[in-house]
Amino acid sequence: MGRFAVKKILIANRGEIAVRIARACREMDISPVAVYSECDRAALHVRYADEAYPIGPSAPRESYLRIDRLVETAKRAGVDAVHPGYGFLAENDDFATACRDAGLIFIGPTPEAITLMGSKTAARTAAKKAGVPVVPGTEDPLSPDVPDAEIGRIAAQIGYPVLIKAVAGGGGKGMRTVTDPADLPSAIRAARSEAGAAFGDPAVFVERRLARPRHIEVQLLGDEHGTVLPFVERECSIQRRHQKVVEETPSLAVTPALRDAITSAAAAVARTVGYTSAGTIEFLLDEDGRFYFLEMNTRLQVEHPVTEMVTGLDLVHWQIRIARGEKLTLDPRALLTPSGHAIECRIYAEDPDNNFLPSPGRILALRPPAGPGIRDDSGATAGLDVPIFYDPMISKLIAWAEDRPRAIARMRRALTEYLVAGIKTTVPFFTWLFAQPEFLAGRFHTTYLDEVLAARAGRPFVEPDAEAEEVAVMAAALQAVMTAPAVSADRSSQPIASRWKQQARVQGSR
Amino acid sequence: MQYEAEINGRSRLVIVARDDGGFVVSIDGRSWRVDAARIDRHTLSLLVADADTGIRLKPHAAAGAHEAGRTVGYEVTVARDPATARLAVRVGATPVFVGLESGRRWRRKDEQHGGGSGPQRVVAPMPGKIVRVLVQTGEAVHARQPLVVIEAMKMENELRTARDGTVSEVHVREGASVDAGSVLLVIT
Repeated sequence: MGRFAVKKILIANRGEIAVRIARACREMDISPVAVYSECDRAALHVRYADEAYPIGPSAPRESYLRIDRLVETAKRAGVDAVHPGYGFLAENDDFATACRDAGLIFIGPTPEAITLMGSKTAARTAAKKAGVPVVPGTEDPLSPDVPDAEIGRIAAQIGYPVLIKAVAGGGGKGMRTVTDPADLPSAIRAARSEAGAAFGDPAVFVERRLARPRHIEVQLLGDEHGTVLPFVERECSIQRRHQKVVEETPSLAVTPALRDAITSAAAAVARTVGYTSAGTIEFLLDEDGRFYFLEMNTRLQVEHPVTEMVTGLDLVHWQIRIARGEKLTLDPRALLTPSGHAIECRIYAEDPDNNFLPSPGRILALRPPAGPGIRDDSGATAGLDVPIFYDPMISKLIAWAEDRPRAIARMRRALTEYLVAGIKTTVPFFTWLFAQPEFLAGRFHTTYLDEVLAARAGRPFVEPDAEAEEVAVMAAALQAVMTAPAVSADRSSQPIASRWKQQARVQGSR
Repeated sequence: MQYEAEINGRSRLVIVARDDGGFVVSIDGRSWRVDAARIDRHTLSLLVADADTGIRLKPHAAAGAHEAGRTVGYEVTVARDPATARLAVRVGATPVFVGLESGRRWRRKDEQHGGGSGPQRVVAPMPGKIVRVLVQTGEAVHARQPLVVIEAMKMENELRTARDGTVSEVHVREGASVDAGSVLLVIT
């Protein structure tokens, strides 16, 4: 046990990640406390927690981003610690400071480390200090009063294509690729607007876009006793508009020598800032085998389960153990030696056949996949409304198997089991992706998906054949017949007496 | 019961009759014997056998599909799609959209995907907030031109026109909240 007792944790988040953290709490005999906005009263994370408190209206700025209300709620509930999850305030140094000032343990790095690594420009400086190469780009953030013409000059110097990125960004928001200088002003405007709305900071910076890089990242754990341990790499090159959609570990592109180099580089960057808790260092791996520091995420990541699946460890448990002052007692070699292969699909409430437009609404029926090697980290249940206010991810689906082909086969099996009615999800898209030769062979890079999607020009991902069409017509008609009030054949809603009669008829007819 | 079903632009005649505790379903004259179990309000388990010559439907193309006497199982969900007023049916892992009307011809309520003639009603595909309206009444537009930017779930999304035309009606203002299926603009 560590120096601090943690018996009760407030989870300052919602949806699937709040449920996932609450599960870790239960396993560690810690009482989970939920918070919720107006539209989340019925959400799974509220039902799963021991205690739950309202924190305001549905808009994130009025609830999940309200530091004052969260801290006040934490004190009122008498918790020892606060877990921010990811998104919302997870990388907000003011929140970490407010927790510390209120005598609460913030389950994450220090506010100082968040401040430093949360600024993409400051993080690049830290990486250079650790001797790790960075992608060419601007050294200082470009605040909103920097004129477009000035940014245009900078972009021309760096060389097109460039990426406009939010200094406080993450999750693909506030990021735009610019190939043609003429598109620069509108890209800056869009990036600033998204960054301002999502992170409250419209500052951007400019970075060269490598031609066909792969996204390789290294999970780390650091304790308060000076130990920083890197894990086997994850590959997240399958991205749509800079947003990861599939993550896996280990990477097909990483040799043992490269693994040693990239994980050591990651640990070196983290050590220069005295990093504690879970964090991830992201790299771009160029076609020539060179890698560049991209940024550090000072929090748990959406794709953390794939690392858990191949190492057998629970990263949320370790975040909590580190927060209560425990020492990292893990074998460093074991963390770099994956057992089998794991892949994650981010299941979104989006319509893949309609340009991935959000598809909020009521989930009418839901049966997630299960069985060997499958893990579904979900915040969704039947009867629940997927609100329009938040990220559309409803679940993370993870498949583990002894090798990559078997993990893919298992994921394909799981996708056929994923039954959702009422909203559209990205499941049909994944069904298509997991049959693509390039994906199966591991021949991809960070713009692979955007390129093939553009080339497909909106064709449906799973096109029904004659058989599926016939069965669909059959089902639609039968559903109409069976729900017609005069001929109620709904077994579940039939009175018990008539079910007895029905049973008697069946018996008699034998 | 008789229905008119529209699928992928094609109309099919469906007749459902009860028979011996199950159903006989015929589509454009071809019949199947179907045992249908309702799992919940939106989920059906179907066991399907060809009513005449054994089986034609098959779960896997390779699996000796034409053997007589086989019964093929399907798990199907049926729910109304609020944006198009059609039925979103999922057959196994395959989504299929079906327009269903009893007795009379089913008419598409959503013409936005059609490249054909007649006014094109641009509807909100999901509930959200109108961030920008990029065109005005009377303005000529060309296919794929962005018309409206709608924000939902932290992302801004452009809605585009399916074909060339003129904006004849604009029903939304910037900042307005809209429901799925509400008509935003009309292109003629």
